[in-house]
Amino acid sequence: MSPSIEIQLIAAITAAACAIPGVFLVLRKMALISDAISHSILPGIVIGFMITQDLASPWLILLAAVSGIITVVLVELIQKTGLVKEDTAIGLVFPALFSVGVLLIAQNANDVHLDVDAVLLGELAFAPFDRLIVGGIDVGPKSLWTITAILSFTIILLIAFYKELKVSTFDIGLSSALGFSPVIMHYGLMSVASVTTVAAFDAVGAILVVALIITPAAAAYLLTTDLKKMLALSVLFGTSSAIGGYWFARAIDASIAGSITTVLGLLFLIIYLFAPSKGLIAVLLKQSSQRIEVSLLTFLLHLNNHDSLEERSVAHLQEHINWQRVKAKSVLDLALKNNMIVIDNKVVSLTQKGLDFTEKAIEYIITNKDEKIEDMKDDFFLFRG
Amino acid sequence: MTQKIAVAVDDLTVAYNYKPVLWDIDLSIPEGVLMAIVGPNGAGKSTLIKSILGIIDPIAGSVTIYGKPYSRQRDKVAYVPQKGSVDWDFPTTALDVVMMGTYGSLGWIKRPGAKQKKQALEALEKVGMLAFKGRQISQLSGGQQQRIFLARALVQNAAIYFMDEPFQGVDATTEIAIINILKELRKAGKTVIVVHHDLQTVPEYFDWVTFLNVKHIATGPVKDIFNDDNLTKTYGINYKVAVQQ
Repeated sequence: MSPSIEIQLIAAITAAACAIPGVFLVLRKMALISDAISHSILPGIVIGFMITQDLASPWLILLAAVSGIITVVLVELIQKTGLVKEDTAIGLVFPALFSVGVLLIAQNANDVHLDVDAVLLGELAFAPFDRLIVGGIDVGPKSLWTITAILSFTIILLIAFYKELKVSTFDIGLSSALGFSPVIMHYGLMSVASVTTVAAFDAVGAILVVALIITPAAAAYLLTTDLKKMLALSVLFGTSSAIGGYWFARAIDASIAGSITTVLGLLFLIIYLFAPSKGLIAVLLKQSSQRIEVSLLTFLLHLNNHDSLEERSVAHLQEHINWQRVKAKSVLDLALKNNMIVIDNKVVSLTQKGLDFTEKAIEYIITNKDEKIEDMKDDFFLFRG
Repeated sequence: MTQKIAVAVDDLTVAYNYKPVLWDIDLSIPEGVLMAIVGPNGAGKSTLIKSILGIIDPIAGSVTIYGKPYSRQRDKVAYVPQKGSVDWDFPTTALDVVMMGTYGSLGWIKRPGAKQKKQALEALEKVGMLAFKGRQISQLSGGQQQRIFLARALVQNAAIYFMDEPFQGVDATTEIAIINILKELRKAGKTVIVVHHDLQTVPEYFDWVTFLNVKHIATGPVKDIFNDDNLTKTYGINYKVAVQQ
């Protein structure tokens, strides 16, 4: 394998391994804790390195994962005292642990390639240099093997405990009552997140690993209402950004980690703007059509309440309901398009359909019973809640 | 009385940050009652249910379900948490939420299959929500969400049902639908325990009642103990005018 392909493979597999726990962190509103973990595993990595003198040693990953768990425990302990809130507790814990790591590096690791830059931004470009040799045969970069093992482990856990993860994320009370201890699930997830972060740390560094965990899940959340699809989309976004980011970095001769994160960020921005129902533009469009539909309803109610020709003339509507010409026209057009009114000699009358619609709408507004409007929901945003 | 005791609470004390929320509660709930737990805000009603179900650890006391600890009787108990306790934007459908009721009988790792799906669909039908099975849960009204929760409890096919304010924020139709299902459960010999807020409807909906305000005040048949004396003891003000029996 060429180094280029090896780097892309490492990046893509890392992204996939990060995206899976990321989905559950986002759904549990714990995105910040991944930031905390990614920073506070540093002392674990440094101590592990001091003991083993090997950056790719499994002990390093284990020790770092332990410091990840310690972070979570510390945050919860501080929070439990009730003296500070959760976000404050996170903000207290991880800089403390991270600074211990930085000091340890400065004291002990000056002469090796574990430096602060590498810790912050990763060393993806150098990953292919560190080979795994088994029985004298070069089987590929060490980090490729590590991250592949972690991804496989994550997938096995995900498949085995999918239903437990789902129920404990959605409804912690039910999960506990059913005997699926939310505490076990919580620490299980935190352990996987820590282990993954440690492995990804090598590739993209402490700051950018957060993007790999959170961004794909946040983007997928805007596109689907199905947990399985959300997982699949997150993995897809993560891996494609990793590969896209690699080529972007080659094109502009810049940091691979930085490029991957930039591509991820752009991907999120596009989805944030254009997602079909939860995207910014869709939401704005929906709000504007809701405004028109409320106006339509007001207009139909007005027609329903007034019989006289004068009250129902097109010109009168503009001055009486106090609408601008444009708005009055768009409401009239909408009513006409839906066959709710007829205009005869500049006088507006409700059709039978218009009458039915108005009555149903009044009943809905008065009783707030959803059953009444089930068949109207497809045509009108207003009733979609 | 020769009635079996479904739930027994002995000397239960629960505290948050050293302040007792429930204080030395002794309570026996006979099998087959439809019971309301009433009391003012902060009386510990939800906490009582949560500690019976082992969701909160008490600092003293014990709870038994049909004479055994809850952890050995999980399959006999179904739980409907407060609607507001979950994030309804969670990416899942009505059917999927109801399926979660079957997870307990499956145990760890095993996945729900066709049998569980059938049970979930039947429960959805019972609460009149079959037409909404594929709908994302945030697209449901408050009353519909509550019915989904009820269906999820029905799927558990338990002997005892605990419900935390099932009438909170639901429309009148849903309230009637829910109470009818609860009455059916009682007819089928189940025990139903409901945290309830609306004192006016207690005599109409329930046959058994527990008054709670940090301490246990009274438990018994509505017709015997739902009176001014107990209401005053629980709420601290005279309810003579508010509730007419």
